[in-house]
Amino acid sequence: MHTGRHAAEATEFELRFSLTQGSFTIAPDLAAAARAIALFGPSGSGKTSILEAIAGLRTPQRGRIAVHRRVLFDTETRTSVPVRDRHVGYVPQDVLLFPHLNVRKNITYGQGLRRNSDGQGRQDVDVPDLDDLLGLTPLMDRRVAGLSGGERQRVALARALYSGPDVLLLDEPLAAVDLARRRLVLDALIAIRDRLRIPLVYVTHSPDEARAIADYAIVLDEGKVVAAGAPEEVLGKEVGGRR
Amino acid sequence: MLKWAATAAFVLAAVVAVPAQRQEVLVSAAASLAEVIENVGRAYEMRTGVRVVVNTGASNTLARQILAGAAADLFISADESQMDAVRSELVAGSRVNLLSNQLAIAVPADRPRSLKSARELAQSSFRRIAIGDPAAVPAGVYAKAYLEKLGVWEAMSARIIPSASVRAALAAVENGAADAAIVYRTDLTAAHRASLALAIPVADGPRIVYPAALIRGSRNRDAATRLLAWLQGADASRIFDAAGFPRAK
Amino acid sequence: MQSEILTIALFTTAAALAATVVMLPPGIALAWVLARYRFRGKAVVETLASLPLVMPPVATGLLLLWLVGRRGPVGRLLEPLGIEIVFTPAAVVLAMAIMGLPLLVRTARAGFEQVTRRYEQMAETLGARPWRVFRTVTLPLASRNILAGALLGFTRALGEFGATIVVAGSIPGRTRTLAVGIYTYTETGQDARAAALLVVSVALAFASVLIANRLAHVD
Repeated sequence: MHTGRHAAEATEFELRFSLTQGSFTIAPDLAAAARAIALFGPSGSGKTSILEAIAGLRTPQRGRIAVHRRVLFDTETRTSVPVRDRHVGYVPQDVLLFPHLNVRKNITYGQGLRRNSDGQGRQDVDVPDLDDLLGLTPLMDRRVAGLSGGERQRVALARALYSGPDVLLLDEPLAAVDLARRRLVLDALIAIRDRLRIPLVYVTHSPDEARAIADYAIVLDEGKVVAAGAPEEVLGKEVGGRR
Repeated sequence: MLKWAATAAFVLAAVVAVPAQRQEVLVSAAASLAEVIENVGRAYEMRTGVRVVVNTGASNTLARQILAGAAADLFISADESQMDAVRSELVAGSRVNLLSNQLAIAVPADRPRSLKSARELAQSSFRRIAIGDPAAVPAGVYAKAYLEKLGVWEAMSARIIPSASVRAALAAVENGAADAAIVYRTDLTAAHRASLALAIPVADGPRIVYPAALIRGSRNRDAATRLLAWLQGADASRIFDAAGFPRAK
Repeated sequence: MQSEILTIALFTTAAALAATVVMLPPGIALAWVLARYRFRGKAVVETLASLPLVMPPVATGLLLLWLVGRRGPVGRLLEPLGIEIVFTPAAVVLAMAIMGLPLLVRTARAGFEQVTRRYEQMAETLGARPWRVFRTVTLPLASRNILAGALLGFTRALGEFGATIVVAGSIPGRTRTLAVGIYTYTETGQDARAAALLVVSVALAFASVLIANRLAHVD
């Protein structure tokens, strides 16, 4: 098992499964301990499907998914934890803010809902300055419809965090954010990774982002992992030009 | 909000489904009798304090309701065949022939004429003749029987328009869609745009009978029995006669 | 005569409102199941739900009469409890609800089908259980269609005649609705009364369509 730079704070990920969709099969075969894993590759290579499989929104034909030693899916023991109990914070590319709720209600939607396996309520995420961290305080009472791309991204992030997840699944979080603010949001993500100690699985096709945030990266091409390891080593070797 | 609505619906259903406590008799009466039975019922209530509730409709619909176990106490049908149809639901021996009626030929009020005999309907000036559907409507059954008795049914049958009800037949004459209609005499009393061309003499015409009987499943057997008896008495007769319904013989 | 007209009009409106309330829970539930699930016999369920729409209303009325009459499968269970449906206002509400239900189900189903599954999935990832997802995400997002369906059901209930007269009869003060009253008065030659009820019916129908349009635009 590869271990990232900061082994002491790393989370163990086991993503060994086979998910066939349409014409090709997505088959990551990865066991790593990291604080943040970057999924890198061209469009259509299966990065989003991997996030969905971790979240439970897609079911692999066979394999095993475990985060932090907690088994979420295992065809051998016929385990498949229901979506609502996987404790993931998922921010998809299209963000999916609830259109009928305002910003505050979106963000607090998941608060207090999660239960541990013993049925106990989980401690709310300690987010004293999360709103400030993401610059959301002035937006709280706004309707979702009028927000800019970057604002929506930040609201979605806060919503995922407020639900108290064990892991954050981020699909191209900076894609909709304008260049000027990208650093801001990236810094916020790094702070989330370090201060809140929440591991990230981060889909991107920007090598800079991957290097900035991840301590482990995998490169996908048509569903197969073609390279895996520390971002600096791996991302020089990305498969060029293939879409 | 959902809970509130569900509770409201439940309460409403419970309230409306509870049977009435007060003494009352539910009479299912054929449509042609509806108005006069309501009048008779009001007179009865003033005299005895027992409420007469009238359910009205086409006799065959009323019969179906009774066969399905509907809670009527008394049934007054527009013909004998509908009463026969519910014989299994009747109190044995309670059936009586209550009222009679008279057939009449109606023509549009703006083209009044007087006929001496129903045979005159065979004239070419009567291109369309409306009667209640002889397959289902009592008045139509009577009309057809009479025309057959006169021997003119075959010749006229192509010009006959079967109507959904005797009121519909009258309406056809009122708006000019038909040149004549065979209806009950009583239907013409309130009609404005149709006039009487001929009242078929009772001796001549078919035997029109409105039978009445008690329903077996009734919960107000005694009250219904008393009402039926009163309906056959002199006080009720006055009201029936005034409306054009003679006693059945 | 005026108070009689008023009574009939109020009774009809109240019964139609009650029928709408009664048809909402089963209608929403059925619409939801049809929108989201695939199962064996689904075509049969869909057909049954549309039946009152395509059958002649009188036929539906006869079916109901058989079902809830004292002899029928449901009626015979209710009788010992002292509950009677035929010839009572409950029969009016029942007939109206049955006739309006298919319209509600169709419209609500389209509403649910429009709600992107992905919003529901997002709510699930945040930890929400199925009932909470339905209540806080699906239902609000489909609410406009559900409201439209309820309004359709209500206007259908207001004008309902064929099934009502068979299973509820025409009893003044108890089950005589506007539509049934128009028919009965026409049949018994009381044209003035029939005309008055006709005017009220048209006015009510006009008002409900007006309100329905308003609601559709304001949302």
